[in-house]
Amino acid sequence: MTGENKKGTEQSRRRFLASTTALAGAAMVGLPPQDAAAGKKHPKRGGTLRFGTRDDSVGLDTHRNIIYFVSHPLTGITGGLVDFDDKMEPKPGVAESWDTSADLKTWTFKLRRGAEYHNGQTIDAESVKWNIERIKDPKTSHAFTRSVVSGVERVTVDDKHTVRFHLKEPDVALDINLVYYPVNLMAPGAADKADTEPVNCGPFKFKSWRRHDRCEMVRFENFYETDAEGNSLPYLDGLIGLPKKEDRVRLTALRANELDLIDNVAYADAAAFKKDHGRTFETWPVPQVGTAMMFFNLKNGLLSEKDNPDAHLLRQAIAHAIDREGIHQAVFNGIGSIANGFYGESSPWHPKGIAPSSTFDLDKAKALRKKAKGGDQRLTIIANDTFPYMQQSGELVHAMLKDAGFNVVLEILPSPVMLEKQGKGDYNIDSTANSYRLDPDGWFARNVLSSAPENRRRTGYVNEKADQIIIAARQERDRAKRRQMYADVETLVNRDLPMLYTHYVPLMMAGHRTRVKGYAPSFTGPWSYTGAGMRRTWMES
Amino acid sequence: MLAYILRRIAQLVPVVLVLTVVVFCFVEALPGSIVDTLVGTEGGDIEEARAILRKEYGLDRPIHERYALWLVRVAEFDFGKSLVTRRPISTELLSRIPATIYLAAVGISLSMLIAVPLGTFAAVRRNTGVDYGAQVTSLAGISIPEFWFAILCVLLFSLYLGWLPSSGYVSPFDDFWGSLKFLILPAAAIGFRQAAFTTRLTRSSMLDELSKEYVDTARAMGLPERRVIFRYTLRNAMIPTITISGLQLANLLGGTVVLESIFAWPGIGRAIFEAILQRDYPLIQAGVLVLGIIVVLMNLLVDLTYRLLNPRVKLA
Repeated sequence: MTGENKKGTEQSRRRFLASTTALAGAAMVGLPPQDAAAGKKHPKRGGTLRFGTRDDSVGLDTHRNIIYFVSHPLTGITGGLVDFDDKMEPKPGVAESWDTSADLKTWTFKLRRGAEYHNGQTIDAESVKWNIERIKDPKTSHAFTRSVVSGVERVTVDDKHTVRFHLKEPDVALDINLVYYPVNLMAPGAADKADTEPVNCGPFKFKSWRRHDRCEMVRFENFYETDAEGNSLPYLDGLIGLPKKEDRVRLTALRANELDLIDNVAYADAAAFKKDHGRTFETWPVPQVGTAMMFFNLKNGLLSEKDNPDAHLLRQAIAHAIDREGIHQAVFNGIGSIANGFYGESSPWHPKGIAPSSTFDLDKAKALRKKAKGGDQRLTIIANDTFPYMQQSGELVHAMLKDAGFNVVLEILPSPVMLEKQGKGDYNIDSTANSYRLDPDGWFARNVLSSAPENRRRTGYVNEKADQIIIAARQERDRAKRRQMYADVETLVNRDLPMLYTHYVPLMMAGHRTRVKGYAPSFTGPWSYTGAGMRRTWMES
Repeated sequence: MLAYILRRIAQLVPVVLVLTVVVFCFVEALPGSIVDTLVGTEGGDIEEARAILRKEYGLDRPIHERYALWLVRVAEFDFGKSLVTRRPISTELLSRIPATIYLAAVGISLSMLIAVPLGTFAAVRRNTGVDYGAQVTSLAGISIPEFWFAILCVLLFSLYLGWLPSSGYVSPFDDFWGSLKFLILPAAAIGFRQAAFTTRLTRSSMLDELSKEYVDTARAMGLPERRVIFRYTLRNAMIPTITISGLQLANLLGGTVVLESIFAWPGIGRAIFEAILQRDYPLIQAGVLVLGIIVVLMNLLVDLTYRLLNPRVKLA
């Protein structure tokens, strides 16, 4: 008998003993044998979960405001044509199926029969059309949400349950982008109350909201999703969102049993919390909610070829001066990993074979800076004060560039000032981050494509080859080929350095181990998605 | 008295008008724009969206026109809607201001309850253990940062003892007794620090009063010491204490942003702070205006209290 077989026998014996003990126990208390043997608790309906988040939504009208699936408790009330699963793949939502024409310019969505808005109104094709047209109207929608339907030329209704999107240009990613941006549906008859009493179609119904204080939602009885046994979801009777901006305030409230679940455990607290309180609280590491980076201003100034012939040399010097391992340790406390592209290894879109960007080499950085024209002139780093890691990365990069002999200043600014400076090109380096895009087109076509308004506004990067690849990738159905195309773009980005990826932004969620059951975030953190997450969470008293 | 009150209220008008001009100019001078915040950084039609929003919010008009329009609306008690949440500002203020007043008023009351007896006792028993104890405690209260004391309170009473919630807010109008649980820690954090200032002030005022001739006269007339202290000396010594406490209360109405963050207390300070960060102009203007009016009214209340404490004070 080989050692492996022997081990297998021992394990079988242990499993046998464990299962017989469990069965005996089950017989004594009258539980179904399978559940007891599996050691699993059966989901049950009821209970209200208190969810503490760092952020809160701006407003209730889901077309005008981004009710964002990563961090806004109000996401519970929202729903759309398409949903996503734990791997961020598109899954049926209000639309039970969809297909696209060969030229990727017409998308047809078959709506789920019996799906309703929270006021009992049927979700039919006409109401979907009304929603898309409202989002297309700049007077009633946010540019972020509108960006995904701006390519929709018109929407037609085939019948009560079939709606067709006619696009101006081919788009292979329309379905998943409808989730990300997010194109949520609201009841047409309730548009006048969209800012105060929204009527949507998500798993929970709106009850009340006081911004940055509390929002309450109750179970939507007619939500379309069911579990494997046909029980309607969600299991929870209610959900209370309690935004608490400070990470430690949230964590303390969890420890004091005032919350059941929280997002964003501070990086500095994560390891100690898991070690000291792991028996009481479950933690879920989320590998990548976004990617941190340094954007360089290529529109004007010292790092732009338009104003400085040695701009690329200077950007290389900066890249060599930045110790990303230092950022990994000091800002992220060793959690997560260093970025070499937009998508990390945990992502299904992680492209292989990207040529890496410059590695940390202080001597080389100093030599390049001295060699480059303008190496002694002043550089300005800007960093947003909203997210601690952006600010802290900015501070570290400021210190690292000083070490390399750069004349550099750091400005930590609120969002409106950041936006103004970015728009005017009044900066050289921007310590920033971008949230995980479910489809790579959402990142590359907005931030790398030279004609994209966001790229023009911010970095002004132009590379014709990258443009060609990004446009072609939007029409490529083969996923492996698309992934490779984006790897090629990343190689160009790492060579040209319009930005320097620094770190994947990880996140840790935590919840009460004995009370919160069945919950797990997806790999990039969202808490409301099909098949799991908040919809399959239940409370044990 | 009534004529005095009416005259003081009438004085509010120029004060508020000056305040509105200052607030308007201040907000206008802030770098960055609400339009950029609302439009965001993505979407194919950023410029178009900016133009639409600027027109919708009237930001394309000259500042004096906007100011005049706003003033007319405010005169009709219409603050408009928040540019960010699009909800009525009056709703926003009404949900925030009571929370702040509740916290500030209880915090100051708590500080008075601690400080007045302690300061009085320290003055009466000057250079005794009680006096030294009061001075050391008040020095500690002044020296310890409010936020640090708040965090210590949370650790002790919420995490280790589990007696009180660490953060959150329940409106006293919804559940009065339930709201007290959430109020105790933030009110104590405010009260402890304010009490430190007020104790020292009360002690020195009392010492000052005790050295005056009317106190010797009262004692010489054979009045009981308790009556001399509490009926005559303390009433006079309370005038500076009331003045400072009134100003402290006014300060607390907008100045508890850090404590509001620690205790996730939905007060007006945090709302205005967030509004400034997002450049939500109407909310900033309305919030500052309302706080300004409350501060002026507080000062009036303080002046009226002088009269109650000392009838010789003339209200003119």
